[in-house]
Amino acid sequence: MTPAGSLLVADDLRKAYGPTNALDGAAFSIHPGEVVAVMGPSGSGKSTLLHCLAGIVTPDSGTITYNGRELSAMNDAERSALRRSEFGFVFQFGQLVPELTCVENVALPLRLNGTKRKEAERTALQWMQRLEVDDLAAKRPGEVSGGQGQRVAVARSLVTGPRVLFADEPTGALDSLNGERVMELLTEAARSTNAAVVLVTHEARVAAYSDREIVVRDGRSRDMERAV
Amino acid sequence: MTARIWARDLLMGARFAVGGGREGWTRTLLTGIGVGLGVALLLVTTAIPSALAARDLRGDARSVQTASAGEKAGDDSLLMGEADTRFGGQDIHGRLLMPQGSDAPLPPGLEKFPAPGEMAVSPALDQLLKSDDGTLLRERLDAKVTAIIGDEGLLGPADLAYYEGSNALEQLGGELVTGFGSSAEPVTMDPVLALLIVLVFVALLTPVAVFIAAAVRFGGERRDRRLAALRLVGADGWMTRRIAAGEALAGALAGLVLGAGFFAAARQSASAIELYGSVFPGDLDPSPALAALVALAVPAAAVAVTLLAMRSVVIEPLGVVRAAKPSRRRMWWRLLLPVGGLALLYPMIGMGNENGGFSRGQVSTGVVMLLVGITALLPWLVETVASRLGGGPVSWQLAVRRLQMSSAAAARLVNGIAVAIAGAIALQMMFTGVEGMYSRNTGNDPSRAAISASAGPGDAAAGRAEAIAREIGGTKGVAEATALSETHLARSPKDRTMIANLTMGSCDALREVAHLPSCKDGDTFVLRGGWNDESTAAVAKPGRTVYAVNLGDDSGHRPVAWTLPASAKVATSRSDPTGLERSGILATTKAVPKGLGRGQGADIYIRLDPSVPQAAERARTAVRKADPTLRLMQLQATERSDRFESIRTGLFIGATCVLLLIGVSLLVSQLEQLRERRKLLSALVAFGTRRSTLSMSVLCQTAVPVALALLLSSAVGVALGTVLLKMASVRVTVDWVPVAAMAGVGAGVVLLVTLLSLPPLWRLMRPDGLRTE
Repeated sequence: MTPAGSLLVADDLRKAYGPTNALDGAAFSIHPGEVVAVMGPSGSGKSTLLHCLAGIVTPDSGTITYNGRELSAMNDAERSALRRSEFGFVFQFGQLVPELTCVENVALPLRLNGTKRKEAERTALQWMQRLEVDDLAAKRPGEVSGGQGQRVAVARSLVTGPRVLFADEPTGALDSLNGERVMELLTEAARSTNAAVVLVTHEARVAAYSDREIVVRDGRSRDMERAV
Repeated sequence: MTARIWARDLLMGARFAVGGGREGWTRTLLTGIGVGLGVALLLVTTAIPSALAARDLRGDARSVQTASAGEKAGDDSLLMGEADTRFGGQDIHGRLLMPQGSDAPLPPGLEKFPAPGEMAVSPALDQLLKSDDGTLLRERLDAKVTAIIGDEGLLGPADLAYYEGSNALEQLGGELVTGFGSSAEPVTMDPVLALLIVLVFVALLTPVAVFIAAAVRFGGERRDRRLAALRLVGADGWMTRRIAAGEALAGALAGLVLGAGFFAAARQSASAIELYGSVFPGDLDPSPALAALVALAVPAAAVAVTLLAMRSVVIEPLGVVRAAKPSRRRMWWRLLLPVGGLALLYPMIGMGNENGGFSRGQVSTGVVMLLVGITALLPWLVETVASRLGGGPVSWQLAVRRLQMSSAAAARLVNGIAVAIAGAIALQMMFTGVEGMYSRNTGNDPSRAAISASAGPGDAAAGRAEAIAREIGGTKGVAEATALSETHLARSPKDRTMIANLTMGSCDALREVAHLPSCKDGDTFVLRGGWNDESTAAVAKPGRTVYAVNLGDDSGHRPVAWTLPASAKVATSRSDPTGLERSGILATTKAVPKGLGRGQGADIYIRLDPSVPQAAERARTAVRKADPTLRLMQLQATERSDRFESIRTGLFIGATCVLLLIGVSLLVSQLEQLRERRKLLSALVAFGTRRSTLSMSVLCQTAVPVALALLLSSAVGVALGTVLLKMASVRVTVDWVPVAAMAGVGAGVVLLVTLLSLPPLWRLMRPDGLRTE
């Protein structure tokens, strides 16, 4: 598949952890507003691919281009700035800061970007309303359920209006009902803002929310044609 | 609850501690090292009293039993001359020996008497003499080293001592010794000094106890997760607590073993440390009762602390560890400890006047309660202040929120520092307050003479002081050496009821003790303004014949008669360089008949040339060459009590050890907390959080409790210091500079620990933390 018009493109990515090849020539591309599911068995290299695409981990070789800019040409500070302003993240266990209230957690990326506290929290509350968790604003992560916490994490990932949302097993710790609700809200919100979503999962029912699927096996990626 | 159930659960916990794989071992080892360091410090401090007692015994063993007046030398006696000297600021114990027969008493540590021209030296002195630093000393102690003094003849391994054989002691003047060793009653310690020692021990040991309590909680959060798994398979709440206590107990027991090892290592290196002299490793034995107390109290404390700590934790079966909703901390009961401590100390106020009625137990308990009170008050203070904080940048917000959520953990982190600093401030105040009691102005004027050498009655040097002074005066580094010899004058050969002093020397030498109107050799002066003008006036009337008498001399020497010249002038007295004021008659050398001042004593004042390096050492060598039995004194304007000084040194060394120990525990706890948050830190970095933001957050998170801890410890320290000074009946003044300095030291330790924890923090912030496979 040609990456023409792609927002984020990766080619021939290789990454090894010690003797283990996590990525072995993987390729990837995503267009704005597209939801791409990265599937594969445990240990296949899905998360490593996501971390490389997001500029969290530097691949040993290969290229990653975001919006025409080569990620490997950026230094750590530039990549951090990119993640702050252009990317959003959802992890399996939410990874909310336990000391902060839910609204403070959602506002955190905005505050890291220099937005004033009140304004950041006002915007955060709007996103929490969209994700139906505004009633949890004053609660701490330890006081909310797993599904609620994950929705708060989704709100946090979208609050800066990212162009790419990286979701690593976002429903992995949730029951099916909660998982589906989180996926509905996540994809709806992403589509409404034309954000691309890189969705790492090993569950077919979660991948069903995507426009396209890529399968990673033994560090190599393969585009899957979806039967309509 | 049966003992069997307790034993079963404790044992299971202990098994977890050692059988939990690498992580379990690491945690147990970490706890063991922490507790071990504390235990070693406790053992060292409990061994110090016995080490000091052993030193006293060694000192007694080499003290001499002298022959009674009139006793003649025999086969079983020894003529001995004091030949102490000083080199490089260290005192050297020296004795000249001349056995009077085959049964002469041998000093401890010697197998035989050194022959004339030979000497036996201590190992430390042997090393010094052989080193490059000892070149000048080799010139002074130039006898051939033929033996090494055994340990039983030394105070400690660093003791500098020598015994030299002599055949000139009869001429030089020596003491007749019939044996060695004394069973003198030990000197009772001044009550205020005793109070200081108790305080030094308490102030140093309380933070160690707090440290041990912190060390047994190393790795607590991971343990809680493991316990949650046990709940899942049916363990009840109490069972998990006992299992946790068992884990802590295993760590504490490992700590006891390691502590014994650390102590053994410290004991071996004790010879390298000097504190009020050096200590032989064999003398550093902890009292068995105190060692047993440590061995029992440490594991018991580990169990108690764990059970207490787990009161506020609810461990649920589903792998979830949630802090029980903390009840708001109340202040009233937290004040009980410090108030109780003050109540115990209060009745002893003013007792310093009454020659020491301090009850050591009461003082210790009172001080411990006050200091431990800090650990009760600090969590309340941190919680109260943190709950009022807010606003600010993200780093501040992260720090403040964390403090609000876990103020107890934050307070626990700095408890040890707070207790140590409070104790140190109180002691610093105490030391400053009572310093005046243990230091005095000597009256010495070092600008006129740096060294004085004196000879006593009977010493040969007394009769040839001027010749010795000339000899010393020619030494490189000596600007001037003046000699004064002394005798006593009486109205008749037998009369001892009225005595006047006669001081003899050159005009220059006499000017050291009087303002002379004019002076030439042959002149005589009557001193006015001295301490004994009445006797002088009664005995020494110009024109009268007086007799130079040797006080205490029953040898039948005929007193020399001398007619005091009628032309004697009047001179006014002035202090000599040692601060002594003389009275009586002053005479230039030519004014008195030969032999007049035989054997009555002499002083030589030595002024140094500051431009010559090691001038003092050269002068001492010259003195020794001239007459080894001359007693040397370094003139200094002020002098401090040795014991006071050594207690102060002990406090400094102990406080440094304690602060380092606490610093280590702080670092371990900090790293542990960071490791617990590894995934979260990685996630924060993943969405673009700057390193500086997280570093600053860690810094603020530490800075707030530290600032509060230092504030509280300063207040408690000053309060304790005030009470202690009142107990010692000393005027209370707060010198804020040392208070600030101590608080600064505490802050410095925390800052250092925080800086040391930054590199691991940055490593933990790597995105690798997000990997699960």
